[in-house]
Amino acid sequence: MTCGELERLFLAGATPEEARRHANGCATCRSLGADVDAAQGMVAGLVGPALPASLRSALLAIPRNNVSCEGAERLLPVAMENELSDDEQRRLSNHLSRCAACSEAAATLAAARDLAEPVAPPWLTARLAANRPVREKSFWRTLSAPKAAIAFAYAAAVVVMLLGFNPADIARRVSASQLGENTRAAVTVAESSLTDRIGAIQEKVARTVQVWKGRAGGYGRAALSNALGVIWKSSGPKERPVERPRNRDGRGAFREISTTITTWRA
Amino acid sequence: MSAEEKALVDRCRTGDDDSWRELIDRFGQKVYSVAYHFTLNREDAEEVSQEIFLKTFENLHRYDGSFPLVAWLLSLARNLCIDRYRRRKREKSFRFVSDEAVLPLLKSDDDPAAEALKKERTKLLFWALAEISEDLAEILVLRDLDGLAYDEIGKALNLPDGTVKSRLFRARAEVARRIRERHERRGASGAFQTLTLAAGGVL
Repeated sequence: MTCGELERLFLAGATPEEARRHANGCATCRSLGADVDAAQGMVAGLVGPALPASLRSALLAIPRNNVSCEGAERLLPVAMENELSDDEQRRLSNHLSRCAACSEAAATLAAARDLAEPVAPPWLTARLAANRPVREKSFWRTLSAPKAAIAFAYAAAVVVMLLGFNPADIARRVSASQLGENTRAAVTVAESSLTDRIGAIQEKVARTVQVWKGRAGGYGRAALSNALGVIWKSSGPKERPVERPRNRDGRGAFREISTTITTWRA
Repeated sequence: MSAEEKALVDRCRTGDDDSWRELIDRFGQKVYSVAYHFTLNREDAEEVSQEIFLKTFENLHRYDGSFPLVAWLLSLARNLCIDRYRRRKREKSFRFVSDEAVLPLLKSDDDPAAEALKKERTKLLFWALAEISEDLAEILVLRDLDGLAYDEIGKALNLPDGTVKSRLFRARAEVARRIRERHERRGASGAFQTLTLAAGGVL
């Protein structure tokens, strides 16, 4: 069987008359055409099996017993809050038992609730503290700090004193006539306190100067001695010191040990 | 047609019971028929039909109306039907077709002799379908037994129309050749022609 003309005519949608005209002159296609017509004739009188009434009822009930994937998407968040009605819960369960994708989504959502809180590693707190942004202090802000203000006041008083004035007198002259009774008393206390502190500072400065004077004398003497040593060394040949005996590796003192070995012969 | 079917599907998606009933009444018979032709068993066909419509209901949002709804239903049905068909084919009794299996496919006839002839012819047809490859058999079932259009079969099986036609031609020729050879082996050379002539007067 080599002639494919009948199949070509069939695929091209030729009429049965055209196919029969070819088949009349071609024995191969006549036999093939008879087979094809016979097969078509066999199915021609068949009917489709009738849809059983029970099946129709079951098909109509599908939406009442199930939800679609789309419907499951809407019900899952409600199910997480345990707010589904019994009917919705039943339909969702039916769907989840059949649909792997929705079942996976539901299991993942449920598992999210059971996740443990991660424990911060011990180094994290220290690192966060170290990286905390530092607020830079302005000059005036630094000056207005209580300790800095006190130090600044003392420094000003020392400067005034070094210039040959008594800060207490200046303060008295400037403001005594303008101050009230209470303020004057406070100024008096402050004056005496300041005078005491200035005296203490003066003593401390004197002691420090004394100490540094001594140290400077010592450093000076040491420097002079070193300089003289250098001059003496560079002035002429010196006698080499006697070398001490050394071990083979050049370290430590060498000490000879002699041992007498006596052997007996039979 | 597809736009109208898309509208029907959209109404079903909103949970409209009347629309779902319309869908079942329009396509339930066709789907059951296809399932029966593949399984030749009422229980199996009912089970497959339910599964097909359940899958349809679950996936209504996927239907975009770009091709006929029946083709979309059959594309969902195809794997189920082919699975059953292959399972049945593995069974030793696959080629044996019972009287009960073919009875739902026959029109009742007043003439008992003519009815018996039709029954034998139908059993012979399903025997031959079991003999040929399933690629050819499924096209013949969908076209000649279920009356689907070429484009519906092409969309359902994801095949070009030309391939569908070509396979259909070969399937018919193969089925007829198997039946003829069987009769020739049994020495009843005229029986095949007698059967087919009596059935539809085609030859």
